[in-house]
Amino acid sequence: MFGAADTNDEILEPALNLQVVYCSHQGSDLTLREKLAISEEEKVRAYDHLRSQFPDSEFVVLSTCNRVELYTAQESKENIPTHQQLAGFFADFHAIPVDEFFDNLLERTGADAVRHLFSVASGVDSMVVGEPQIVSQVREAYATARVNQASGPMANAMFERALKVGKRIRTETGLAEGRISIASVAVGDFGKSIFDRFDDKQVLVIGAGEMAIETLRYLKEEGVRELVVVNRSVDRARELADEWGGTYVEYDQLDRLMATADIIVSTTGADRPIVTRERFAAVRQQGEYKQVFILDLGAPRDFESSVGDIDDNVFLYCIDDLEETCERNRKVRQKEIAAAQKIIDEETDEFMHAVYHRATGPIIRNLREKWRDVTDEELAWLFGRLGEMDDRERKIVEQWVNRLVNKLLHPPLEALKEEAREGTPHGLMDALRRLFHLRD
Amino acid sequence: MNFANVGIYCFLASYLVAFVLEATRLWGRSKANRLFVLLFAAAGLCAHTIYLLVRSRATNLPPLVGSQQDWMLVLAWLMVLFYLVFTFLDETSAWGVFILPVVLLVVAATYLVGDAPKPLLASQQNLKMVHAGLLVIGIGGVTIGFVIGMMYLVQHRRLKRKHGQTTGLSMPSLARLARWNRLCVMLSFPLLTAGMLTGVGLGLYSKRTPEPVQFLDPVIIGYGVVWLVMAVLFGWLLRAKPAAGKQVAWMTIWGCGFLLLTIVGLQVLNMDSWHS
Repeated sequence: MFGAADTNDEILEPALNLQVVYCSHQGSDLTLREKLAISEEEKVRAYDHLRSQFPDSEFVVLSTCNRVELYTAQESKENIPTHQQLAGFFADFHAIPVDEFFDNLLERTGADAVRHLFSVASGVDSMVVGEPQIVSQVREAYATARVNQASGPMANAMFERALKVGKRIRTETGLAEGRISIASVAVGDFGKSIFDRFDDKQVLVIGAGEMAIETLRYLKEEGVRELVVVNRSVDRARELADEWGGTYVEYDQLDRLMATADIIVSTTGADRPIVTRERFAAVRQQGEYKQVFILDLGAPRDFESSVGDIDDNVFLYCIDDLEETCERNRKVRQKEIAAAQKIIDEETDEFMHAVYHRATGPIIRNLREKWRDVTDEELAWLFGRLGEMDDRERKIVEQWVNRLVNKLLHPPLEALKEEAREGTPHGLMDALRRLFHLRD
Repeated sequence: MNFANVGIYCFLASYLVAFVLEATRLWGRSKANRLFVLLFAAAGLCAHTIYLLVRSRATNLPPLVGSQQDWMLVLAWLMVLFYLVFTFLDETSAWGVFILPVVLLVVAATYLVGDAPKPLLASQQNLKMVHAGLLVIGIGGVTIGFVIGMMYLVQHRRLKRKHGQTTGLSMPSLARLARWNRLCVMLSFPLLTAGMLTGVGLGLYSKRTPEPVQFLDPVIIGYGVVWLVMAVLFGWLLRAKPAAGKQVAWMTIWGCGFLLLTIVGLQVLNMDSWHS
């Protein structure tokens, strides 16, 4: 599980050496998160800084709009960075006083740190529960740490497991089912139920509101290529068209464009509907009555609600229609949190058990090697005393001695294994070291 | 194992359980449910296949040209095969909720039709197989068109009523359903026509044999009417605009529904006919 680190003969106490300091949407406001955020460009410098300050530690920085988290892992007992020291790193790096954020910079260690990472990677800890972006954000953060040689065997094991846990939760629970943002419901639930593909569809954007931009992001992901923007403010429309690879057309062309568009996204912010039933009925007569998907994201509405009844191929949705679906999906996801939490606890226990068990590895190896040396020495002495023996006889004696040693070692090793189920068995490990004169 | 003990009730029960399990996905989907649905449907198909093979051996006739009952069971068998293929290729869509009721109806209707073989024109076994094969595949295609038309209307209704997609009853997009709907009728009609023509050929040939068949037979007339309805639908589809998805769905449902009712009805009514 830990790959290369298994060869390290040091006696470890890793459970205590895993920690995370973080501030997230749950305990701190956006202003603070923005102050502590570490962008992709800044990460190289951040990792250099951390390495020079804590040379024995492994690091992974996860910085998104909802959280700033610094994971540390360390194999040696010495020089483990403290909560204060890690806060000091943020203070130095961003040149802000520690007092300004220390109370909001939370800390988790050992199993709690692992549980926290698993919750983050599975979307349980997200502002929008189950949102899928966090998986790629965790994956990217981990990849960046590896590229910068900031992570090591323990951090790697923890993050790789976290990604698997995230996948397991998405597969085994309904936590990620159903879309819960207006734009994703609009495109994913309704748009994709109407159209098979989007790369041959013409999108008309009326207005240039925030919601239109978010919807365009989803439409672009689905492959939309042809985009026309119409807005009363020419500058903003041009800006939006340039940003999304579309074209700007004069506002007086609106009816002609509506007649040919497959998808209409409207966010004008007008105080009354700009498209009445009569106007759109006339528009439909110009075209071939093909399917048109209208997203009226204006508040108040830009399209009269009766526009949706003009013919069978007009599909009109306003914010309230979409919000209803979002709310229902949110409730479904909330119900799945308990199931996800159960998996997280189970996976954390399993991971920690592997970590504790790993801590006993070197001592077991040490003990076996020591007894093998003693066995070899004693066998050499015995064979010297017994004189001539054929190969068969020598083999039988060797087998007998090895069986005896294994039987003698079995009870202490079993006891060690048993103890490791609950945590690093420090007491027993110390006892074994002293009883058998083992060195770290 | 004695395969002769496998009866219609065996696979009818399997399909019924599969349908009930499919229906429970309306309240939420799970992997275990999907697995059990597929297991029951596959078990039913196995029993169905064994039953047809045993029947074929007993009557010494291929199922397609055996009795009315055998012919209808082949149609149901094809439908289940379609269902399993669709479900395997597209696990999210609720195919079973729409296809399995039709399968259950067809299989249940076989209890009402005769199972005695009608060994007419024994010398033309191959041509009879072609005739029955083309008709059964054509009718199978039409039935799938009927199911897809139903799915189109349900999906359309959901979108018009602005209801979000429920995980249990997810379906392909309207565009895809409309395309498949059209395709089913476009492919099935030529098969039905070829099936009819081979039937006419067989009828004409029988005039030269000691057992000439009558074209003025209720089943033959019924099939003729059905073919005419399908010809009208086919002609209308050729001229219909791509945007007319909902009308296509309705037309398919009416056309295909009429075909299914007529064919199953003719068999169930068991009119005085030489045709099986």
